[in-house]
Amino acid sequence: MANAAPQSSRSKFSPHVALHVRDYRRTTFGPGHRRVLRAFAEALFYDETAPFAPGQLDALVEDCDDFVSRASKTLRFGLVGILLVMRWLPPFLVRRFSTFEELSLADRVAMLERMDRGAPPLPLLVVAYKTLLAMLFFEAPRELAAMGYPGPERSRWKRALPVAPIENHAP
Amino acid sequence: MSDPITHGRTVATPVQASVDVVIVGSGASGAVVASHLAREGLSVVVLEEGGHYTPEEYGALTPSQSLRRIAREAGLCTAVGVGDTPLIAVMAGKCVGGSSVLTGGVCFRIPDEVLHGWSRDLGLTGMTSDALAPFFEDVEERVHVETVPLTMRSRGTELFVEGAAKLGIPMHSLRRNTHACKGAARCNFGCPNRAKMSVDISYLPDAFAHGARLYSDALVEKIDIAGGVARGVRGRFLDGETGEPRVAFEFRAKLVVVACGSMHTPVLLRRSGLDHKDIGRHLTLHPAFRVGALFDDEVAGWDGALQSVYSDHFLEHDGFTLVGVYSAVNVLSAAFPGVAGHYRKLVREMPRLAIFGGMVHDDGGGRVHRWLSREPLVLYKMIARDKARLMKGIQTVAKMAFAAGAREVMLPIFGMPTVTKPSDLDFLVEHSPSARKVECMAFHPLGSAKMAIDRSGGVVKPTGETWDVDNLIVADGSVLPTSIGVNSQLPIMAVATKIARGLCADWSRYARRAA
Repeated sequence: MANAAPQSSRSKFSPHVALHVRDYRRTTFGPGHRRVLRAFAEALFYDETAPFAPGQLDALVEDCDDFVSRASKTLRFGLVGILLVMRWLPPFLVRRFSTFEELSLADRVAMLERMDRGAPPLPLLVVAYKTLLAMLFFEAPRELAAMGYPGPERSRWKRALPVAPIENHAP
Repeated sequence: MSDPITHGRTVATPVQASVDVVIVGSGASGAVVASHLAREGLSVVVLEEGGHYTPEEYGALTPSQSLRRIAREAGLCTAVGVGDTPLIAVMAGKCVGGSSVLTGGVCFRIPDEVLHGWSRDLGLTGMTSDALAPFFEDVEERVHVETVPLTMRSRGTELFVEGAAKLGIPMHSLRRNTHACKGAARCNFGCPNRAKMSVDISYLPDAFAHGARLYSDALVEKIDIAGGVARGVRGRFLDGETGEPRVAFEFRAKLVVVACGSMHTPVLLRRSGLDHKDIGRHLTLHPAFRVGALFDDEVAGWDGALQSVYSDHFLEHDGFTLVGVYSAVNVLSAAFPGVAGHYRKLVREMPRLAIFGGMVHDDGGGRVHRWLSREPLVLYKMIARDKARLMKGIQTVAKMAFAAGAREVMLPIFGMPTVTKPSDLDFLVEHSPSARKVECMAFHPLGSAKMAIDRSGGVVKPTGETWDVDNLIVADGSVLPTSIGVNSQLPIMAVATKIARGLCADWSRYARRAA
């Protein structure tokens, strides 16, 4: 979870529910993949008006690994492959002879923008991880609050409730 | 009575048993068949590859935690586009209750014109509107299909209706299988209020009450076939920590019912030695699209039923249906264009976001292949007609958004900035962009083991039994012979009911064959 402090994804269960925790312990990303993914997330979510909390990006990468590790071998292989392609794309896209994670933040942002607007399959490389990371990043209570989401309470269904008669206690 | 559900990942020693019927898959079709056959007094075992989570458990999970536990491939299944075709995200359940736990709950009967085609062109005379009506009625009663009241429409849906009205497009209230819905707008991640009558709440408890048993985390690897007759299934329980197959099981049965869904039924049939040419072919998906619209005033689209209105105004001539939609806000956040600060700024507009959507009534351009892992390779080639339908559908809902007063519209096209006036939408139809740049998703894979009146036309008989192997039944959405153009949950359950009643009526014949 992309929260203020890194935490295990297992702690995200509602505490009053006694789950049979059956989390798979396998992992997908090695240290090199995690560096690329972290650099990707930092560029994707960079906003000078809303700096990251300490440990937020590391926790996000950890959560992303937990998420994709539920998928099949072929899908995980594909997702790792995307990171490898991303890593070696800078010379071809932004004419910088370095790996993606070594680019400056501004260059990484420029590269993602270029890929996003580029011809297929370049946008798909961005969208694959944008979809995943956005779902995890904006699930954090801090981010939900920042976007104005009030939480699980709903009110519209109450419009159909019967109205109780008001007793007249007037003297 | 002992717990009817065994968590396969807790099983330490191999399991062998003999039963009357083994059912592979516990979703909308498997659960229906289990209930009917158990009521008939038959011994029934249901095998489910996914885990078992109670409504209290999955209802308490965050959307992403839910996806990683109850959705196939953690919600990342895709159909790979061939040629000028989008990459299509395909949502399917992998848990006790299957995709019924993840649907929006929308319930349609199969349109008359589709059934007319099945009976007139394909000779499926038992699939007429009148013939299926009793099965639809039975399902509708058991899963409590009701019309979504006006009070449950979200503000986003109200805007969707207002925009449609200004363009002269009639909208209608949807029917859904809900009971006391509180409008959490997160049906796709498991209802937090136990209000959606998915089969884990409706049919499976009934099956258990009549003696059926269920094993979760049970991966069926092969159907045993001898002398042209199905004799049972074998496979392995999945390990709780690695997710990999571990402890073996074998169930001998007089009848094997396959209900793994249109993406996995073909894989199991092929792996079991069936070689019919149509296994895995003719897959339809109902490619769906959504358009985001930003308004000046707050919409708070999360408050209300996830889906509550539809329009079939364009179905007959233009081949698409319009449907009001929403999702969890963190999932929707990926739909905003751009990266970095621009992107974050747009996401903060979430309270002013409404989502308008629709889906294409497509041709069978999909194909399911076995390949490197347990998951299939799904290929999909969108024909030119369906691409035109897709673009016109996107343009139509975007125009509705502007008609409703949207100040900015976000099209489902990669890299495309928001558009601010209706004339910016003309390019969709006049200079149709590459379909490979369109964000597309699907929720209704159908037709990969289709029904036909003779072996040359399809994989299964009108009874659901395969043409090639006796006592092997396919009862899920893969038997539907064509795309139906509407949400598939109720049709799948009605067809499964028809097949199940046929099995009950003809049980003595199936039992004799198995002897």
